[in-house]
This record gives sequence, structure tokens and C-alpha cells, in this order.
Amino acid sequence: MLFRTTEKHEEFRAKIREFAEAEIKPIAFMLDQNNEFPDEAVKKLGQMGIMGLPFPKEYGGAGEDILTYAIAVEELARVDGGAGVILSAHVSLGAYPLFAFGTEEQKQKYLVPLAKGEKIGAFGLTEPNAGSDAGGTETTAVLNGDHYILNGGKIFITNAPKADTYIVFAVTTPGIGTRGISAFIVEKGWEGFEYGDHYDKMGIRSSTTAELIFNDVKVPKENLLGKEGEGFKIAMSTLDGGRIGIAAQALGIAQGAFERAVEYAKEREQFGMPIAFQQINSFKIADMATKIRCARFLVYSSAELKEQHEPYGMESAMAKQYASDICLEVVNDALQIHGGNGFLKGMEVERAYRDAKITTIYEGTNEIQRVVIASHILGKAPKQEGSKLKPKGPITGNRKKVMIDGDTAQAKVDKLVEALKNDGFDFTVGIDIDTPIALADRVVSAGKGIGDKKNMKLIEELAVQAGAAVGSSRPVAETLKYVPLDRYVGMSGQKFNGNLYIACGISGAGQHLKGIKGATTIVAINKNKNAPIFKNADYGIVGDLMEILPLLANALDNGEPKKPAPPMQKMRKATPKKEAPPWKLHVCQGCGYEYDPAVGDPEGGVSPGTLFEALPEEWICPDCGESKDEFIES
Amino acid sequence: MYNVRKVTDDLYWIGANDHRLALFENIHPIPRGVSYNAYLLLDEKTVLFDTIDWSAGRQFLENIEAVLDGRALDYLVVNHVEPDHAASIQEVLIRYPKIKVISNEKAFMLMRQFGFGVDGHEDEVKEGDTRSFGKHEVTFVSAPMVHWPEAMVTYDLTNGVLFSADAFGSFGALDGKLFSDEVDFDRDWIDDARRYYTNIVGKYGPHVQALLKKAQTVDIKIVCPLHGPVWKAKDLGYLVDKYDKWSRYEPEENGVMIVYASMYGNMESAAQLLATKLAEKGVDKLAVYDVSNTHVSHLIAESFKYSHIVLASVTYNLGIYPLMHNYLMDMKALNMQKRTVAIMEGGSWAPKAGQLMEEFLDGMKQMTVLNEKVTVLSTLNESSEMEMDQMVEAIVESLRDA
Repeated sequence: MLFRTTEKHEEFRAKIREFAEAEIKPIAFMLDQNNEFPDEAVKKLGQMGIMGLPFPKEYGGAGEDILTYAIAVEELARVDGGAGVILSAHVSLGAYPLFAFGTEEQKQKYLVPLAKGEKIGAFGLTEPNAGSDAGGTETTAVLNGDHYILNGGKIFITNAPKADTYIVFAVTTPGIGTRGISAFIVEKGWEGFEYGDHYDKMGIRSSTTAELIFNDVKVPKENLLGKEGEGFKIAMSTLDGGRIGIAAQALGIAQGAFERAVEYAKEREQFGMPIAFQQINSFKIADMATKIRCARFLVYSSAELKEQHEPYGMESAMAKQYASDICLEVVNDALQIHGGNGFLKGMEVERAYRDAKITTIYEGTNEIQRVVIASHILGKAPKQEGSKLKPKGPITGNRKKVMIDGDTAQAKVDKLVEALKNDGFDFTVGIDIDTPIALADRVVSAGKGIGDKKNMKLIEELAVQAGAAVGSSRPVAETLKYVPLDRYVGMSGQKFNGNLYIACGISGAGQHLKGIKGATTIVAINKNKNAPIFKNADYGIVGDLMEILPLLANALDNGEPKKPAPPMQKMRKATPKKEAPPWKLHVCQGCGYEYDPAVGDPEGGVSPGTLFEALPEEWICPDCGESKDEFIES
Repeated sequence: MYNVRKVTDDLYWIGANDHRLALFENIHPIPRGVSYNAYLLLDEKTVLFDTIDWSAGRQFLENIEAVLDGRALDYLVVNHVEPDHAASIQEVLIRYPKIKVISNEKAFMLMRQFGFGVDGHEDEVKEGDTRSFGKHEVTFVSAPMVHWPEAMVTYDLTNGVLFSADAFGSFGALDGKLFSDEVDFDRDWIDDARRYYTNIVGKYGPHVQALLKKAQTVDIKIVCPLHGPVWKAKDLGYLVDKYDKWSRYEPEENGVMIVYASMYGNMESAAQLLATKLAEKGVDKLAVYDVSNTHVSHLIAESFKYSHIVLASVTYNLGIYPLMHNYLMDMKALNMQKRTVAIMEGGSWAPKAGQLMEEFLDGMKQMTVLNEKVTVLSTLNESSEMEMDQMVEAIVESLRDA
């Protein structure tokens, strides 16, 4: 055999390269500078059939092989890393799960327009607490009649908010880890589906990346992709293929940087000759070429394996890991060869240098790729003792989580003040609003929900009446600059260890919550009832800050200036009631044995995390041998 | 001499009382004795419902003979095979060799295992089957794991009598009385009834709930259990309510039970001070027990009764005081759950009981351990009293929120 692409592949490469050089390369710097998505170019790619390259013609695709698709990603990334990932995320992550796991109706409705390039696809798996470990997924989907109600959020989603169709992963059975995750097809524009921050990234800036927010989004039952509980399997299988795309992207970025370095090294003369021929540079170029050739073989070979329906999970992990690792080395050397010129904005190699870094991180970090590769060789690691399921609690520890309701805003505020006074808070005393956060007994903190800067007045007035200092979330200090940087609370900022924390318009990012773990009492006020802050608070009010804050300040106003507070004394923190786990227990009618999904039945080969319903029909009681249907719900 | 009572038309109580047995199941003290109930129906056919413990066999056989008054015994319905009710089966079969034994498959399997000699007498029934004895037609309802797997109850469709096996039973001898309205149950019997239920059936709450659901669908006029008083419909609501709470592990009283383990009286005095402080704060549903001289069956019953438990234990061999540990293990075995617990530990060089008790409680269901804990170093001092005051606050607050 000859390790070479076919003539047809190379003809295709020439075509896509011509397109990339003509349509993307000239605007790549501008896209990078403006954080701008190449709408026109993507539309044209669709018309050329590139957006559906590896899918059969009957589903609107081009019917080409996986290798052709990999070449397309490579060639786009060669001129612009961002353009490469637009295609990769669209094909491998957005469209492929529909092709592999969709029903005929789902394929017709969603895959066809994606493959034709009329619509753009994306994939929503990552969450603040579910990165490499999807078992931490917190987005939920609850079946309600003929709809699932989707709540939660996703971060770092490539192609959002441009994409029209999203494959979203959510927990349908809580508490049992990855087996409780299901996949859903979600359309842009559905009520309650919004986008959060568009990220300001280091590289691949022409690709758009945003946060997805789901508030009671109604997802029709028929948009469940695969079966309930198959989400993790679908995600992993999708990522197996997605790795080929990212590997091709890394390969393309490296190839582009390499070509620029060779060109530059041949032109640039020092000591009387092109620097390319200085041995140190010629060796560098030799090494770069060798690494790129190795990477290319890995990438193309795993594409071929996939095309031939051979196992390719390990090989695609090797390709992704190796291609992205050497991509970083190649862009580094390429930039070094450019000397000071390479350090300037506008140089392609400078952009490639920044674009490269993400390839070792996303779609499975390279650390995870090594886990994948090793598991193919070594099998599963032996079970560790104590790997029992445990329901995960909120970041701020166990809280009361009392949602205060009432007919009017005034009624809610009155109830809150009564509860706080019952807990022992004395609002006739107070501290200066400029007290350092670390020393403050109470803090009133503003999040982005505060809106316009003039609204900070409301925060200050509330702080005075609550006898508290003023704090904020990170964006309010860092991006909006409403308060000095030393006043933001969070893991990277100030830690609050006092007694009362009133979070106003703070959604509750993990890093913020970690900064208020030590608070005795946390009050949350937010207009979004699904904001994570509420699960981390003792008292919560859903409402508009503009309405609630003045009412609260007024309710805490005792008509005279606050007396200086005595030295801070840490108050007692209420013990929350221990709750039942989210899963159901079943008991045997033959002996009283209790089946607990958290424990499973190790002797019967049933691993922890298996729900009773999921036990095989032939499973019998490990203590008395009664059959499964002799169990009743506990 | 026979000693029987008429339950209702055609039906007689023919059981016996036992004041000699010290320990029921050889574990639970029964200072008020216990009754073994069996019932005899005189219809066109004669039907015996269960037998009794062999220790009162002679009284039982005399009672049968007297009520039969010369008639043959046609049927024996066995609802429950535990020997305190089934041990006399073999003697009945010997005396009445033509008798048919009506019971379920599992019960027959157990009767054979015990060697009661039922072969050839079997009339096997399943849930929902009926048998007619003339005027009276009965149906059978299985009650698995209340508290044995073969347990069933028999319902007389004609007069609404439910033969409830061990369900709705109690410790305590009847001593001449029979009906729920002949005793002051809430004053004289409830503690023993609770101690019986919680220690014997406590673990099987979900199964009892299943039986209660089935019972709701029929019109019950009289309940004939295998121990304790016969229940008339008008009194039954009281007991069903208790059973419902116990089997859902919901407390009867929003109050505090303090259990202490003390070697030299230091922890005892701390526990007493805690009780005083609680009482001063208005906590009147309050009970204090020394784990060393209170039988664990009482502790279990009280744990089912109260919403809050204070565990006050000294450290012993770097562990929990053995009798306290035994009480904890018994609670866990009986599926005790949904309580709020405060922990007080003692020790002189390495107090560990608190941490160990908390870990133990973590292995139980929905046992909330209050943040506020007290460590008594040898004996209570000013600083541990401050901890105790915090604990009192927390308990009072938790009682208020419950």
C-alpha cells in the first residue's frame, strides 16, 4: 500500500484551498480583530456542499468520505483556525449525532437543512461543573406531558449564538451520574432559550462561542435524541468523531504556520544569507515538517478507519492529542523564526500562535485523550472503594433554600425581613459601607443584573439600611468597573466570612459562590428563578431589583442612623434538613432486602448507579432469591 | 378449665395470657405479659383462626373443646407461621385428623420446615381466593414482610371481621378484658403497643404502608389481632393513625428524647443540665434515658415517638460507648429515619464518640445532625456549657421550624 491520498482527494483539496485563500484569508485578520463570524463565507461553504460533506446525498449531504471532510477542516484552519472549527463543530458535533442517533423524522427535519448548509449546528455538553467529567451535568429536563421542561445552562458553546440547531445534554434522572443524562434537539428562538456572554477569546476569534441559558424551555417529546439515559453514550460517540475534526484543525493551523515560517526564513537574510539556511533554523524546519507529517498520517488514518466502520476511538484520540500537541510546538517555532516581526498583530503566525492553544483543550483535553487511549490498552481501572453515589450539594454548603413568595413585592420583602430578624439580625446597628469585605459582618453585593451604573445608588442605600458594606460580582468590578477591583467577592477576589450576604442580581457563577461559602446567611434577589444562586442561598426572592431593593431598604430603615456595630460575632448557621436522595428505593416482599441504586448489587454484577427499573428482568433478590416483580417501592 | 370470650355472633376468642415469659422473642422484656390470641368460628363448618404458643397449649386445647361442644373441627386458617402462633398446629392436627389447613404456599413451606406435619391437610390459597363455611365467606389478603414473608390477613366478607395476624397487635396480657373499649388504651397500652410495633415490625414500614392501602378498600368492623385487644371499628382510627405515622417514620411528638451514656456520672450530669435548659425554654415533650439501664426496646419505641434525639455518649476504647453503639445499630436495623439529632460527646484524652456517632448517622436515612455539638472534656465546664447553650438554641429553633 502507498500511504497517500487519492487524486480525487487532492483535487478536492485544491478546490477548498482556492476558496480559503480567496474568501477567508483576506478577511482573517479583520475577523480576528473584530471577534467577527464570517457569515458570507459560511453561506458559500454551504452552497458548495462543504457543510454536509460526509453525509449521504439523501440527507442533503455531499456523500463524500470522512477524509475529504478532514481535508476541508485542515484547509480552512490553514488560513484561519476559527474557520476550521466552525466547520468541525457544525459537522462533527451538530449534525453527526442526528445522523447517527436520529429517527427518520428527526433527520428529515434537522439533519437535511444542516447538511445543505441552510442552518448551522452546535453541541451543548460543557457546564461550569461538568467539563471533562460529564457526570457533573446539572442542566435538567423534566417530562411534563408531551414536553420536556429544560432548565440550566451550558458554557463555551462553539457556533452559539449563530447556530440554529443545538444538541443539548440534560439530566433526566438525577443522582445517578452519567446514566441519567439524555440528549435533546433544541431550536434557536424557543421561548426561554437565551444566550449569555459571547466570550472574548484568546484565539479562534472568528468562531463564535457563547453561553446557553435555558429557563423552562419546552422541548417536544419527539426531540429527545435516542432514548432517555443514552445521552452520555451519544456524547462520547460524537466526541470520538469530533476529535478527527479538531485534529484536522490543529494540523491545518500547524501547516499554515509552517508554510509562513518557511517563506519568511527563505526571504529574511542575516549574516549574508537567508536565515532558513542557518543550521539552527533548517533543523527547526526539518523537525516541524516531520511532526506535521506524523500528525497528518494519524489524522488521515483515523478518518479512514471511521469511513471503513473500523474501531477508531483510540486512533482518533491519538490523532487529536498528537496533532494539537505538535501544533503548539510548530507555531512556537514558526513564530520564533519570524523573530520580532512574528510578535506583531496582523502577522498570520501571530494569529496561528493564539489559535493553536485551544486545540489541546477543547473536545476533550489532551489529558482526557490520554485517559481514552490508556483505557483502550489497559481496560477499565479497578473500582475504587467508596465510589458510592452521593447526591452533590450546593457549592455554598447546605442552605435553607427558602423561596419567599407573596402576592406583592412588599409582602415578600416583609417576610424576608421578619425571617432575618427571627434569625437574630439586628438592623439598628451597622458598619461603614467601605469596610473591607474580609472584615465585614454584612455585605450587600451587586451583580450584572443591576444594569445601569446609576442603579448602584440602590445597592448603596440598601447597604446603609442593612448595616452592610458594598460588594460585587467579578464582572461588575472588572468589566463594568462600578466598584474598585478589591470589592468583588469570589474565589479569585475577596472572601466573605461574615453573617449576612445579600446578593442582588448575581446569577451565582461557581467562582462567586466559592467566595461566600463561609457566610452564615445568604439572601438572593434575582429576576431569573433558575439562577444557581437560589440553590445556594438561605432566602430567595424572585423579582425585579428596581422594585425589590428600595422596598427592602425601606423595610430595614429604623428611622435613625445605624449605631456602630459591636465587634463581629459569628452567628449560628441553621442546620438544613437532610433530604431523601432523588432516586427511589425498593424493598423485597420475600425478606425485606432493600435495593438502593447508590449501592447497586455488587455480587449480582449490578454497579452502583443502576436504577431499579434498569435492573434486568432476570435479576433476583440477592438475599432470598425472589424475582424482581416481588419488589415494592419503599 | 376453659376460659373464652365471645367476639361477635358465631366467633369466639380462645387464646391465652402469659405472665411467665420474661423476654418476648427472647429479647424484649414484657413486664405486663402478653396475650396469644386465636379465634374460633362456629358456622356450618367450624373454623379455627391460627393457634397459639405451645407454653399455653393446654389452656388453648381446653378452650377449643369447650367452644366446639362436641362438634368436629373442620378448618384451620394459618395467617402467620411464627411459633408463638403456630407451635400448637401439630397438636391440633393430631387431635382433629380430618381437619383441612388453609394457608398460602410460603406458609406451607415454612410449616413443613418447622416440622408441623401438615402434609395431606393442605388447602392452598392465594390472594383474593375465597372460602365459604356456610353463612360466612372469607377472603385472603397477603401481607408480605409484615413482618414475615408468608404473613396474610383473612377478611370475613359476611361480618367485616379482619383477622390481622401480627398487625395491630401489642405486648400486654388481656387479663379478662378483650375489646379496645374495655381498656384505656391511650393511658395503659399505647407504650407497649408502640414498643411491640417498632421493635417487631419497625423495619418494614413500606410493607405496612402497602397493607394499610389494601385495608382502606374494605369496610372493617372488627380487627382480631394475634396479640392484645380486639379492635372495634369506632376505635380503629386511633390505631391506624399511629400505624400510619410509625410506618412512614414520622414522629408522633414534636419533642426531645435525650439518651446518655455515662460511666462516672459526668455525662449524666451534662445530660441532666441539657434537659433543664430545654425545659426552661419551654420544651415540655421531653424524655431522658440512661442507655445503660434502659432496655433498648424502650429506646427504640421512644425514638419512633419523638422528632428530636440527643445522643450523649462518652468515648470508650476510642469508640462509641458499647450500649450506645448497640442502640444506634438497633435503630439502623429497624430503618429508623427522618429524625433531627444533636450530639454530645465525652472523653478525657481523645473524645471521638461524637464524630463516630455522626458518621454512623450518615449511614442512616435522612438523619439530620445539628451543627451545634458539645464536647465534654471529663466534665462540663464553662466553655462546654457555652456550646450547650448554642445547642439548646439550635434544638429549640429546630422544634419551632418542624
